[in-house]
Amino acid sequence: MNPPLLAVRDLQVRRGEALVIDGVSFELEAGCDTALIGPNGAGKSTLVQALLGLLPHHGGVIELLGHPLSRSGRLPAAIRDQVAYLPQKLQLDGRFPLAVEEFVRLGCSPCCNQRTAVPAVLDRLQVRHLRRRLLSELSGGELQRVLLAFCTVHPRRLLVFDEPRTGLDPQAAEQFHELLQQLRREQGLTIMQITHDLQMVRRSCDWVLCLNRRLCCQGPPQQTLSRDELERLFGGDFVLYEHNHHHFR
Amino acid sequence: MSSDLSGSLALLQEPFMQRALFGGLITGVLGGWVGSLAVLRQLSFFAEALGQASLLGISFALLMSLSPSLLLLPFALGFAVLLRLLLKRSSLSADALLSLMCSSALALSVVLLSSLPGARLSLQQLLFGDILGISWSDLVPMLLLLIITLTYGVISRRAQILISVDPLLARSRGVAVETHRMALLGLLALVVAVSIKAVGVLLISGFVVIPACTARLLSRSFTAYVLLASGIGALSAVLGLLGSAVLNQPSGPMVVLMQAFLFGLTFALAGLLAQRWAGAAATAASADHGG
Repeated sequence: MNPPLLAVRDLQVRRGEALVIDGVSFELEAGCDTALIGPNGAGKSTLVQALLGLLPHHGGVIELLGHPLSRSGRLPAAIRDQVAYLPQKLQLDGRFPLAVEEFVRLGCSPCCNQRTAVPAVLDRLQVRHLRRRLLSELSGGELQRVLLAFCTVHPRRLLVFDEPRTGLDPQAAEQFHELLQQLRREQGLTIMQITHDLQMVRRSCDWVLCLNRRLCCQGPPQQTLSRDELERLFGGDFVLYEHNHHHFR
Repeated sequence: MSSDLSGSLALLQEPFMQRALFGGLITGVLGGWVGSLAVLRQLSFFAEALGQASLLGISFALLMSLSPSLLLLPFALGFAVLLRLLLKRSSLSADALLSLMCSSALALSVVLLSSLPGARLSLQQLLFGDILGISWSDLVPMLLLLIITLTYGVISRRAQILISVDPLLARSRGVAVETHRMALLGLLALVVAVSIKAVGVLLISGFVVIPACTARLLSRSFTAYVLLASGIGALSAVLGLLGSAVLNQPSGPMVVLMQAFLFGLTFALAGLLAQRWAGAAATAASADHGG
């Protein structure tokens, strides 16, 4: 049996004095698409940032790709190069003079051949025609695809997204989702994504982590997205509105 | 008129004018480079605060009978570190804190300068600069700073872009965000300190910011933006100094006026250039789709 890509045991993370993550334990299997769901302020972004060493943790154990993270969270470059992370919303200045191709090149690690890797990823994600455009000139859907190109220009094993569909219209969200699944199939990527789109989770994720400071439940979507579990996670007045993304195809 | 012009151009043969041009060229490149990043990180007002703090450094130096050049660099660097710490630890917004520090430094400088027994530096020189009075010994730290700045710029290019895009994204790619932020503030402080002699306290923020604003109007990539800002900084410094010699006007305001003129000209032409770029981008995109 292969060791898990990510193993977390009894994790504790503080923000100032407040204990934001308390006693969280789970494992991510290679090739798995895992959704992290929970109400606002549940500590989802804090958890993924701690897992990637972007925030220090104050208790428990994190093993990323077999490498135990120190409390300060500093990752060796060899491990970091195999992981890509996209924050919830980029703090990108609308007047930033940065061309798409120039930006994607920055995703390369030192061992990556930029001359072949950059055109290849631009083709794979169908954004080659945007390569001379400024990031600030892109639509929401185009920007997400370019960010995905930035993340995957170097071969990775784990992609971590913090609400990747925020701000996208349903059609662009669906296209982005399909692109992500295609990459997962072709490259055997493991994905962990924070999301509020429970329909998408039900359709394509293999595993769900329900977080509200503590891990309330985890398991396959059929089990974790039951009305009882969702009411326990989001509160008694939780209502699920369903809509069909396929309508826009 | 022609005799005025030939007389002014004869000034170019004079060593003091050659030193001034050399100094203008160096500070222009420095200001353009650091300014391009300062504008992206919204640090323009920081440059203004550092300029006024430099006046305080000069006042302290005069009070202690030291050479202002000696005290100015460490003082500006110390002030930049203090500002960064206060910005991190205070609950005040950046603009309010900078305004507070800026006004306090200016007020204290005026009190200190007016308490000095005899004016050893004219107020006009301090406020608007006197690049013509630059000496070879002033040029040495400028040249050193240029070498350090350009070397750091090349080494830290990836880090600077990623931090400007998003600090968290930069950290996820292994960039030491805090270290690079402090390094940039330190360089900004040093560039402001060495440029004070050329353009003075009042015009320093414009001197740093305007070339970057002009370059932004013309740039379609980060690399072009930084190179253009440095080039425009250098060009306006040289043209401003020549204008100062021909029109017999103070050098600092002439350099900044030249920067403002180039910005105005670019702004007026930017619409035309944007249309041309949009056409070229559409052609390239359709060619890519077609191919």
